[in-house]
Amino acid sequence: MIDCDIHPQIGDAEELLAYVDPAQRDWFRAQGPSFGLPGYSWAHPSSWFRQDVEQNGRPPAADVETVRRELLDPSGVEIGVLNGDDAVLVSLIPSPYRAAELARAHNEWLRERWLDAEPRLRASILCPAQDPQAAAAEIRRAAADERFVQVLLCGGADRPYGEPRYLPIFEAAVEHGLPVAIHTGGEGMGLAAPPGGAGPVTFYIEWHTLGSACSTMAHLVSLLCHGVFERFPTLQVLLMEGGLAWLPGILWRLDTNWRALRSEVPWLDRKPSEVAREHVRFSTQPLEHTDGADETLFAMLAAAGAPGNLCFASDYPHWDFDDPDFMVKRLPEAWRAQVLHDNAADLYAARLALPARG
Amino acid sequence: MAEWHDVGSLAELERDGRVVARVGGREVGVVAEPDGALHGIRNRCPHHGGPLCLGSVLERVAGDPGVYELAGRRVLRCPWHGWEFDLDTGACLDEPTLRAAVYPARVEDGRVLLRA
Repeated sequence: MIDCDIHPQIGDAEELLAYVDPAQRDWFRAQGPSFGLPGYSWAHPSSWFRQDVEQNGRPPAADVETVRRELLDPSGVEIGVLNGDDAVLVSLIPSPYRAAELARAHNEWLRERWLDAEPRLRASILCPAQDPQAAAAEIRRAAADERFVQVLLCGGADRPYGEPRYLPIFEAAVEHGLPVAIHTGGEGMGLAAPPGGAGPVTFYIEWHTLGSACSTMAHLVSLLCHGVFERFPTLQVLLMEGGLAWLPGILWRLDTNWRALRSEVPWLDRKPSEVAREHVRFSTQPLEHTDGADETLFAMLAAAGAPGNLCFASDYPHWDFDDPDFMVKRLPEAWRAQVLHDNAADLYAARLALPARG
Repeated sequence: MAEWHDVGSLAELERDGRVVARVGGREVGVVAEPDGALHGIRNRCPHHGGPLCLGSVLERVAGDPGVYELAGRRVLRCPWHGWEFDLDTGACLDEPTLRAAVYPARVEDGRVLLRA
């Protein structure tokens, strides 16, 4: 099993600050536990985390031992990909200079504190997306370590990722054979556009329903319409945690519009859904509950490219995580090998030296 | 056997860019390109049933991402949903499973003729 989404927490601020350049360390220290990252205007009413793994004021999943004990060992996770949690919000800090430094420090912290300690772990490269040239430089620097298996972008953004300003990020990723993951979070925070598309929402339940799904749709449609995959034919994108049930709907809608409005995006010389099938993967968590209509859900997803485009993700240790054992049972039997392992193994093939299967 | 049918006057074709008539229970039309080339085509879009011959004859646009170029071919764009069709073959360029019927067309003695 490959778990594409594990969120390591920063248990000790000084441990991370030690990786920050001394000339900037005092600034980050002065920001308190947020490190200057934008706070959530819509917070979970009780806890961001699974209640059973919270540990006396210290965040869960704050060290390798805990992740090993609570996730890797019991679930038989062969490879687990660490995605910066709040740290992914570096791209929403007003100062691109602070963002670049915190991203670099976080990447180094992951490397030494996590990757060096556990061979099953891999990590995503954080980068300051608000400054695409600096982001590309950080991607190229961190990519030298093959345990970084993808680039991580934040779902919250001031502009959707298909826009030409972001091309240096995709160029650097492709240069190093790295997929680009866009993980929801930060919608409406800091520099990011409001969640949902109709002005700010009121409740966390609205934010969690709309913010993540809408930003994921927006980035997907933007990447396809701007022809990013035509520019970079080897680029692979992994969209994370934005939900799945809407996928066939948005692709059908985009295909329909493309037939009528193709002259606006004439570089799209085939249906956008076909491009999506070849270039875009989706993480499974949080797979919508269907009130007994799982067969319908899986039939819809099959119409949008599943199971070839789905990669298992637990989202441990968050409150809405998908338990690996539960997911194994829920997935159609014929999908399991691909979704739980093979698709992610293909996605990260250039960087994973996996033992031969079978 | 296909026969030539009178589907309108050359004056109307020159004025409107197309003529439309009913032939053998079907509505057909003749569409003129700016250079005068004629195309007989069924006046029913295979997508949604719209009056295809009332659409616009346009230069198709192509290009690499971020670049707009003329593709060097004219197309007939359906007036309803804007799907584009090849004037010679009737093939929908954006949905290969769809094709509008096409017919030979010519002008003779000020009349537009279509063979169907």
